[in-house]
Amino acid sequence: MAEFLELNNISKFYGNIIALTGVTTTVNPGEVTCVLGDNGAGKSTFIKILAGVHQHDEGTLLMEGEEVRFNSPREALARGIATVYQDLAMVPLMSVWRNFFLGAEPKTGMWPFRQIDIEGAKRIAKEEMAKMGIDIRDVEQNVGTLSGGERQSVAIARASYFGARVLILDEPTSALGVKQSGVVLRRIVEARDQGLAVIFITHNPNHAYPVGDRFVILNRGVSMGNWAKEELSQSDLTQLMAGGAELEALQHELAQAGT
Amino acid sequence: MAEATTTTDSADSRPDAGDERLAHRGPIQQLLTRPEIGALIGAVGVWLLFWLVSAPFGTAGGTANYLDVAATLGLMAVPVALLMIGGEFDLSSGSMTGATAVIVVLLSSDTAELGGAGLSLHLAVPLSLAFALAIGWFNGTLVDKTSLPSFIVTLGTFFILIGAKLGFTKLFTNRVIAEGLDRSGGYEFWDNIFGATWIRNGHVWDDRDWAWGGLLIIGAVVLVLGTMELAYARREHPNVGGYLVSAIGTAAGAIGFILLLEQDGKSSNWIFGIITGAGVLVAVAGWCLARYQRAEREPAQSEHGPRVVRYLIAGLLGIALAIVVAVIIDSENSDRLDFLTGTPGRTVLALGIGATGVLAVLAALGRVSVGYPAIGAALAIIPAISYMVTVQGARAILFGVLAIMGLVLLSLAANRRGLAVAFTLLTSVGIVVLAFFIQSEADSRKLRVELFTALLLIALLLAASAVARLIAARRTSATPAPTPGPLSKIGAMIGLVAGLAFAIIELAQGDGILYGIITGVVKGGIAAFAVYAIDVVCRTLFTSDDSVGRSLVFVGLGSVMLGIAAKLMFITSEELAATRAETRFGVGVMLFLTFAVLGAWILARTQFGNWIFAVGGNKDASRSVGVPAARTKTTLFMLVSASAWITGMVIAFRLNSVQANVGDGNEFRYIIVAVVGGCLLTGGYGSAIGAAIGAVIWGMITSGIGFATWNSDWRFLVLGALLLVAVLVNNYVRSQAEKVR
Repeated sequence: MAEFLELNNISKFYGNIIALTGVTTTVNPGEVTCVLGDNGAGKSTFIKILAGVHQHDEGTLLMEGEEVRFNSPREALARGIATVYQDLAMVPLMSVWRNFFLGAEPKTGMWPFRQIDIEGAKRIAKEEMAKMGIDIRDVEQNVGTLSGGERQSVAIARASYFGARVLILDEPTSALGVKQSGVVLRRIVEARDQGLAVIFITHNPNHAYPVGDRFVILNRGVSMGNWAKEELSQSDLTQLMAGGAELEALQHELAQAGT
Repeated sequence: MAEATTTTDSADSRPDAGDERLAHRGPIQQLLTRPEIGALIGAVGVWLLFWLVSAPFGTAGGTANYLDVAATLGLMAVPVALLMIGGEFDLSSGSMTGATAVIVVLLSSDTAELGGAGLSLHLAVPLSLAFALAIGWFNGTLVDKTSLPSFIVTLGTFFILIGAKLGFTKLFTNRVIAEGLDRSGGYEFWDNIFGATWIRNGHVWDDRDWAWGGLLIIGAVVLVLGTMELAYARREHPNVGGYLVSAIGTAAGAIGFILLLEQDGKSSNWIFGIITGAGVLVAVAGWCLARYQRAEREPAQSEHGPRVVRYLIAGLLGIALAIVVAVIIDSENSDRLDFLTGTPGRTVLALGIGATGVLAVLAALGRVSVGYPAIGAALAIIPAISYMVTVQGARAILFGVLAIMGLVLLSLAANRRGLAVAFTLLTSVGIVVLAFFIQSEADSRKLRVELFTALLLIALLLAASAVARLIAARRTSATPAPTPGPLSKIGAMIGLVAGLAFAIIELAQGDGILYGIITGVVKGGIAAFAVYAIDVVCRTLFTSDDSVGRSLVFVGLGSVMLGIAAKLMFITSEELAATRAETRFGVGVMLFLTFAVLGAWILARTQFGNWIFAVGGNKDASRSVGVPAARTKTTLFMLVSASAWITGMVIAFRLNSVQANVGDGNEFRYIIVAVVGGCLLTGGYGSAIGAAIGAVIWGMITSGIGFATWNSDWRFLVLGALLLVAVLVNNYVRSQAEKVR
């Protein structure tokens, strides 16, 4: 059976700099694929290839068995790949419902009087967010007044409403407190249960392990491997992520220094 | 006593529905988070100040004076505000206004005598628009492609324009002024557009006005109450606060009325008139608040909706048609324009009128979509404008178009929402206001006055029958749509007879055959339509079991119609002869007000408005969700330069000559006015209405200081202080708006 989204040896070069090489993984509906890596590991390059901002130089990207290449964010969106960026997701001085429908406003009325269907937009925004388990106080409030976790939640609800089949989340928990991170992780699970394929980018194995079904670890642009959850324990994941041996050596050093 | 009970009662009336985390915010608190609130308070304060210290400031003449200053500023401030919300500045906007004016004058003025290119204005005016749009596109594209701050890019175009204006003017005319616009080819046509003025006449107040004015007010009040009775439920415990509001309104209305009788100054008449009217409105609103609450019914998504809209639009197109007819008659002995005269113009016009009529009837019958008669109307109105534009004609068209736009918008809105009745009622009120307006306009021939009043009657009847249908739709969605009964046939016959009678009367008075025929057709049609509309109202409401509401609506509707009919029947020749021109409003004022309303609508209601806020608030975010950020910004730049073109034309046709430096430096005024109106310098937040109010404040201060005979050196002190206060207030408002609710 063809995988829903399949990446084979994807590589990307910027001139003579190897930004990403040999990334292989699969993404399926109802599953969460976690991409882990430290700063500079190539996570953002990975996102940008999938989101259509950049194009891969080597390897193949298969969607439902068919080779694809996204030349612009719009193309990726049209294929159902929605990306929720950590900080670029929202316009803070606009209300929740306006942000929810931004770029795809529902319209009503005859031509010269064509305008946004405000009542409908507000209703749908509230309903959709309720479906995701987000209890928004007032869809008229400005997004700037929401907490970080709530903003991510709104962005996830928006992506799922507009027919996203693959949801890419770029470090959704990195700027959040413990409790807020929990909220976002719950949204990820809810999105997965609604049948979306989720790609969860993070550098925190403690966030990735509970929700992930599949893990890709990047280190300095190189893919360290691609594991299913059964093949890996949480401590394995932490070790691999920090470069395994390096962290062990560090632990060793610290232990010695302590005594 | 009443106040003591209010406090205990208001605690109970807090809505329990909704989210428990949402603190109840009263309408005043909500209003305080609007960006334009600072400007609004400032405007009221400045107005009061000058009204107190200067007698002529409050008169119509004074109003025209400061509105004129405000208009040339506001025409630009509104689009500049949109651009600022979109996150950019255009420093070339001020010199652009002058540049378009200079271009038009240089292109059109006489070659030998004045050093111009001698082109016809029919060519020069569109060319200057093309120039303005090109510069706007250039600014936008350059800002977008280079990601340079728009401040720098437009500073460049600003200096280029200043230099080019001065250089070319001197090169061609050897002076720093370009003149001779009034001797150019096609001057009359364009002067009628950009140099048009609207003359407001003094109204001769007489005893009859009490009768029909009183009838109108009573009718409107009763109509509102009846509709509340039908569409809303009565409160179990009356809201005492509402009674209080009602009492305050009554008191204000009474005081205003007494002062209206006491004072007989020209400036005070309309002020106290407005106070009286507002008092009545508040009183009625308070009463409704006290007695009624929203009924707990399913808002019926009925299939009557489209039918109602169709019905309204068909009627409105009828109005448009009649306006065109009125213009034709009107132009026969006025100084009209020599453009498209002769057979071709008349043929297009006749075709347009015919097509509109046929299509409107078809639309009303539901055979074709409502869009088609609109095309027909355009066919009729466009040649009518080009063929017949006289001062009166232009005014007539403007009134008609505005009225139709407003009504169509309202009916569309009404159709979308469950709250249809309130909107339709507002329409009726608007029409009544318009009736007063036109009444004070009675400087033209009898026919036009009669026609207009008659048309208003049609519009009112339409609104009334729409209300009836909507009420029926709200009450029981199962109620079948009312169909015209036998009464309508009788109505048609009455109409025919009445029409003939009116025609004969007019003929007997020696007003000519054409006059007779048209009066007959229009008045007969109204009579027939009135019977039909009342029939529909009756049939619809007959299904309703609420006899109180039904009778209230009947009485209200009846009085309003009687009032208008009384007015219609007794237009005296003295009244028609009263042509004392008091005040002139330039076309700029009209355009300014239109811009403000359009800008506000675009911002709040359209997709483009959403995009403006988005690209100004967070360009990358909006781009990543699919907003075409570059296109939005370029469109905004072009919008600003197109408005600069309009302003430039108004300036050029006002004086028929242009100084080379006109408009330079105004760009900062536009920005200041927009900031006073609540726009954020960093983009993403602001208001078009606020910018318009800011322009009015500026106008009031600059001309008010003159009226108050103060030394004009103080002007900038006042303006600077105002700017600071406005920015502080806006800062506070924005922090309120950003607060977690």
